[in-house]
Amino acid sequence: MQTQYIQQLFVRYKILALLLAVAVIWIFFNKFTDGSFLTPRNLSNLLRQMAITGMLACGMVFVIISGEIDLSVGSLLGLLGGVAAVLTVNLGWPTWPAIATVMALGVAIGLFNGLLVTRLRIPSFIVGLGGMLAFRGTLQGITHSKTIDSVPDQLVYLGQGYVSATLSTTLGVLIVIAVAVLTVVRRRQRKQLAIQVLPAWLDALKVVAIAAVIAGFLVTLNHYGGVPLPVILLIGLLAVFTYIGSQTVIGRHIYAVGGNLEATRLSGVNVTRVKLVVFGLMGLMCAFAGLINTARLAAGSPSAGTNGELDAIAACFIGGASMRGGSGTVHGALIGALVMASLDNGMSMMDVDSYWQLIVKGTILVLAVWVDVLSGTQRD
Amino acid sequence: MSNERQSAPSMGAPLFEMRGIVKSFGGVRALDGIDLSVRPGECLGLCGENGAGKSTLMKVLSGVYPHGTWQGEILWEGQPLRAQSVRDSEKAGIVIIHQELMLIPKLSVAENIFLGNEITRPGGRMDFDAMYRRADELLRELKLTDVNVAMPVMNYGGGYQQLFEIAKALAKRARLLILDEPTSSLTSNEIEVLLGIVEELKQRGVACIYISHKLEEVARVCDTVTVIRDGRHIATQTMSTLNTNSIIALMVGRKIESLFPRVPHDIGGVIFEARHVTCHDTANPDRKRVDNVSFKIRHGEILGIAGLVGAGRTELVSAIFGAYAGRHAGELYLDGKPLKIRSPQDAIRAGLCMVPEDRKRHGIVPLLGVGDNITLATLQHYAHLGKIDKHREGQIIQTQIARLRVKTASPALPIASLSGGNQQKAVFTKMLLARPKVLILDEPTRGVDVGAKVDIYELIFELAAQGVAIIMVSSDLNEVLGVSDRVLVIGEGQLRGDFVNEGLTQERVLAAAIDSSQAA
Repeated sequence: MQTQYIQQLFVRYKILALLLAVAVIWIFFNKFTDGSFLTPRNLSNLLRQMAITGMLACGMVFVIISGEIDLSVGSLLGLLGGVAAVLTVNLGWPTWPAIATVMALGVAIGLFNGLLVTRLRIPSFIVGLGGMLAFRGTLQGITHSKTIDSVPDQLVYLGQGYVSATLSTTLGVLIVIAVAVLTVVRRRQRKQLAIQVLPAWLDALKVVAIAAVIAGFLVTLNHYGGVPLPVILLIGLLAVFTYIGSQTVIGRHIYAVGGNLEATRLSGVNVTRVKLVVFGLMGLMCAFAGLINTARLAAGSPSAGTNGELDAIAACFIGGASMRGGSGTVHGALIGALVMASLDNGMSMMDVDSYWQLIVKGTILVLAVWVDVLSGTQRD
Repeated sequence: MSNERQSAPSMGAPLFEMRGIVKSFGGVRALDGIDLSVRPGECLGLCGENGAGKSTLMKVLSGVYPHGTWQGEILWEGQPLRAQSVRDSEKAGIVIIHQELMLIPKLSVAENIFLGNEITRPGGRMDFDAMYRRADELLRELKLTDVNVAMPVMNYGGGYQQLFEIAKALAKRARLLILDEPTSSLTSNEIEVLLGIVEELKQRGVACIYISHKLEEVARVCDTVTVIRDGRHIATQTMSTLNTNSIIALMVGRKIESLFPRVPHDIGGVIFEARHVTCHDTANPDRKRVDNVSFKIRHGEILGIAGLVGAGRTELVSAIFGAYAGRHAGELYLDGKPLKIRSPQDAIRAGLCMVPEDRKRHGIVPLLGVGDNITLATLQHYAHLGKIDKHREGQIIQTQIARLRVKTASPALPIASLSGGNQQKAVFTKMLLARPKVLILDEPTRGVDVGAKVDIYELIFELAAQGVAIIMVSSDLNEVLGVSDRVLVIGEGQLRGDFVNEGLTQERVLAAAIDSSQAA
């Protein structure tokens, strides 16, 4: 009885449990770095690092929910970032056309992967594995395995720039208002349909907590230059992907396809199209991540994005997505990405050997999924 | 078969007893004081609607829920049995044969029979000779002489596989055998063999608990019947004081006037026609699963499709619906116009809908909520520019759930948590929202309890009265004859009969299904 109750609590407030884990990790690192982990400067850095994994995780979580996997995203991120560098530096293209081209290329390659999976029925694991090698090879080919630096400032700004305090504060206030309004609307709708609603004080507490987190976030980051542009971008993507997942027809179909492909097909849903959309979005997210990565380093590197797919996939599973498809959330995946980024950042600050970093990250991934299995959200 | 049933062995102490079993899930009592007992050589029928608590009871009984997670007492030969796992209860001699067969297709018959119970030589090496010999003996006891025990299980049909499961149970020296819906995928011949074997096991002193919706079978092999409803023990009576109708009355707690509440309805002109439908086997394209079948159906007509399991009925209707995987051909006409259907999407758009046979694999998306399942086929109707109008969707879900009496605490609950009958109602609703002109139902009441069955029949008649043409594939001849206006009989992929359902008998349908010379 008791354990069942705790299990239910855990399932319902899994996100809280995850945030708690992040807090524990942060406190731990702060203690062992003599307080230099939890400084505005480092947190700004940490979030900027996380943005790239987070963008990949946004796309990846849909791929995983739809019951597929994509191992090629790390290499594709590198390739698309490399293309951006080649276009702007070697070919002297202006920044904006280069960005548009890279994004179109990302969608095209994603759709191509999707076609291999749906039309030719090659398992996505294999398509991804093939792409992982082929895209990396292409990247090394177009860069001649050399770093391409002196990327134009406009592009660099995308990765290194900050949003002014006024703009970010306005955005923050708008988000809080939107959350409050949505909560009220949702309560009214659920009441009309006679669906259980949480007690009013709990919903109010939620809104207040979100407002407090946003305020703390803004105050901290505005202490150090402001909110990094990639972080704002990531928050935007979180909103868009959450909207797609919870409010749109295609989003519902993504969950349905992953939950039972055959039943969904027999319900008259064009499952091929659903998967193509998912892979197309994944390609687009690789383009975003690749551009930001090149911008952040101010250079296109032939090794950019190595192991990026593993971080993104791990983020999704830490965030509660199911191996078998059909369940998972975007915000969960992003908190997963925050966990991975915190581990990277904290251990680097502690000067932990890189081999230890790999061991710790691997262990955390396995542990996180084990806890998820224990909490009963992943069915056997 | 003999009609005199041996009277229940009233002598002797019970082999197995359950007393006052209570099992709760988060405050909800799934089982609320169940008693049952069974003596050596006795067959106890356990009856109850889906959701009455039979599966939960079986899980308590077999040790899936370990001792201590439920209240009450289990006695085995008068001694308390405190099984911590399935292995413990199997050690005592309790073996369950599940509704879904638990055989591994690519392993040999013998390997399956001894799975988890292998005969080994020193060092853990499998003793294949001994296993083959013993498997042969066990199958011979079950009157199976034409099985090569070294061949993979997948080479044998469903009827054989059911018997392999029983052999597996015998290999574990079962003294209490629990059969959960053992005949749901068997042909009538195979059912005969199985029931004969149950009789024989009784003679040898093996106790059985027989769980089935097919009350004729219960009436034939069971000595005693225990009925449960809503987790409570309702009655335990000897079979001689009961008949199928009185069991149904006990199960539903109300008297069902007629299982088939048939209403007279008008039948209009031809709405749909299929010509020369032929389907080739997916694995062996030379073999025709459906061979040149043509038929017509009228507005408001209920067309039953009868035939033996494997005759090609499911293949026929899935080809029409655009869901058949193998090579297939044929012409379809709706309202006299030719119809091109390449996918279920095309079919549904044209007004041709299907409720598939295999609910778990083809009907539901288990992790999605009941409501999300209901609107899955028509989601775009409640959306604007790709955004779902959640308010409208919610209203439609509420109305439909109320209309079909789907029992669910909330539309947001995962559909997998509902009973079979309620899941089936949800799948029905999903297709009804697409406003079908022709509705194909493949085994619409398989694994559905009596109460939900009546609801589903009522719905079929209501739809027919509205002019929807209904094609119903069913292996239950009572159902085919109780519901249909016209009956097609398919045998070995061919159309063997087309009967108007007036004075039609089960014998005539069966004869046509079995014998090709009966063709009408």
